[in-house]
Amino acid sequence: MSEHHRWKGYLAVDNGNALFIQSPYLLDGKIVYGSDSDDTTLAIAAIQYMKKQGHLIDSIHLPPTVEASTVFLATGVDSMLNNERLEFEQVMWNLLSGEEATMVLAKTEMEEYEFENPIDIELIDGQFYNDICDAWAQENSVSHVSQGAYVSESQYLEGARARLSLASQKLDDSLIWPPRQLDSSGQRIPSESHALAGEARVESWTKLSAAGAPSEFSLRAPILGGIQTLLVRFEQGPRGVFLVCDDVDYSPKIGDDVEFSVRRIYAQEGVIRYGLKAYPKP
Amino acid sequence: MLDFDRLTQVLTPLGSAMVDVAVIGAGQTKYGNHKLGLKGMWAEAAENAFSSVDKDFDPRQVDEAFIGSVAFGGAQLGNTAALLTEHSGLDGIPVRRVENACASSGFALRDAWMAIKSGQADIVVAGGIEKMNDLSAERKRFWLGVSGDTEWERLAGLTFPGTYALMARRHFHEHQSSHDDLVHISVKNHMHGYENQHAHIRKQVSFEKAESGFMVADPLTLYDCCPTSDGASCVILAADHVVQQFTDDPVWIRSSGAASDRLALHDRPSITQLVATQKASQLAYTAAGISSNDVDLAEVHDCFTIAELIATEDLGFAQHGQGGSFSREGQGILNQGSVCVNPSGGLKSKGHPLGATGTGQAVEVFKQLRGTVEKSRQVRDAEIGLTHNVGGSGATCAVHIFGRDKNE
Repeated sequence: MSEHHRWKGYLAVDNGNALFIQSPYLLDGKIVYGSDSDDTTLAIAAIQYMKKQGHLIDSIHLPPTVEASTVFLATGVDSMLNNERLEFEQVMWNLLSGEEATMVLAKTEMEEYEFENPIDIELIDGQFYNDICDAWAQENSVSHVSQGAYVSESQYLEGARARLSLASQKLDDSLIWPPRQLDSSGQRIPSESHALAGEARVESWTKLSAAGAPSEFSLRAPILGGIQTLLVRFEQGPRGVFLVCDDVDYSPKIGDDVEFSVRRIYAQEGVIRYGLKAYPKP
Repeated sequence: MLDFDRLTQVLTPLGSAMVDVAVIGAGQTKYGNHKLGLKGMWAEAAENAFSSVDKDFDPRQVDEAFIGSVAFGGAQLGNTAALLTEHSGLDGIPVRRVENACASSGFALRDAWMAIKSGQADIVVAGGIEKMNDLSAERKRFWLGVSGDTEWERLAGLTFPGTYALMARRHFHEHQSSHDDLVHISVKNHMHGYENQHAHIRKQVSFEKAESGFMVADPLTLYDCCPTSDGASCVILAADHVVQQFTDDPVWIRSSGAASDRLALHDRPSITQLVATQKASQLAYTAAGISSNDVDLAEVHDCFTIAELIATEDLGFAQHGQGGSFSREGQGILNQGSVCVNPSGGLKSKGHPLGATGTGQAVEVFKQLRGTVEKSRQVRDAEIGLTHNVGGSGATCAVHIFGRDKNE
């Protein structure tokens, strides 16, 4: 018997030993991604789901369309695409990508999978879908010189683990996130060793019009009708600011509880930058 | 944590001992959309400052210059000050660009003041400049956000309208203030700026219109946001032993206070107060030997209306959490309450050419204390003025207190 779940904005069907996961959007009979999702974000959601169910996943075979280093930073799960020293036989899990926005995550020993069809599929507006795909294609082009905030690849990678997995530093009895360098006595703060809980409480929020959004969002914000940002506090103390997932219809209130999903943030110099975005706790 | 007591001990002597420093001349361009470029705008501001000196003044008497600028747009990003000073008769002296985001020239003023305090210079120019309106909309939006936290805030979609919107909503939640309180600030500053011939937007705005403006970053509308302006400003400071060569009517800088805070909102304990403003103003009040009650007029950094509301609390004009009622009751209106807040129209109406704003505030206070602004917006019996210049969403802040008299 399969179980159906809404998981981090995707549709998941769990048969106990394997997971079928897909985007919830349908266009012309074909399953397609929402405006800030892709194979990488779906793969991360799949791995996070199975780990939450208690499966031990150290390493995985990934399809080439998945950005392996982002998967590793977000989940701690290694792959041969990320680590050349990993041997084929050591890898016990497969992530298989379908022709549409679907994936199956299962142990390598499994050869057949049976899942019931997911429920809750939604139709996506064709014009919106095409516009957002065009915007991403333009933004992700190496010839697109962004006027946006310049976060170099090395600077992005320096904070990527904290950004993607909420890894935080422990100093005395408190956790620090995002990571900091020296403390007030000039001593180096230990590197990230603890993960913040994956939910937080809204302390403030805003919705920026397309005109008020930073220039790196300038291609997509008009299509999305603006972007929403939350200031949240985690139970362990640290606070952070997060975009709301593009495809969530959410009117925030102070005091709401939210969870997070890895999504695309923006692209620069041909590299997609990923990060956590918030959605209301179900 | 910063040790405020230690800071006070370290910084107080500078404001209360050694050489006294006066403003002997001050001038600026009109703020707005300028046809002039950087060199032209700076020359105009410097010329206005030079000609405002009551007695003979020769720019060759200047020992040093500090020019605040973000170098918006990247034009002459390096060696900005050298380029500008060579076009204003200040060749050959030590100069540098001072950058602290929107507080750049507030800190240029502080550096100039310290140069005289230290005894290294007798006559120093402090100024600021920004050319913002010759860029494409796309390029402008990039530069408007460069002073915030790039790695975390900006990648969460925030530039300054967004960060101040977060502050506003939280203030509403914690202190029962409302958007109406912000609207009152917008209406007041437009009313003041309408009378200011140097203001960017000389237009009165009704409550109804300001209340229903285009939403930029919920809850902040267009009428909560300052314009992007071109402009330059320049003040000339002199040590007390040379002041009388230039004027019998100096305005004394009674103290300078400055502080910093964490760049990103999420790294601060509270987002409804600017600790840098609180520290800088307390340092300045202490060094000048006054309290907030003694201030007659304040040029406050109202890049957004919520910034003025919070500043009135952080500067001590209103109790913590009472900035809303301070605004609602019209306490900052010209010659109505105990302190006039932004008699120039503030950043909201006078305009905000980033690097020029801090010394532009000093130009206003200089003229107010000497009684030379337009009569319709003259603060009555003004003896003590304050400037409050903030960088970013509160990462840096410089507060200066000016008086008709020196410190006792």
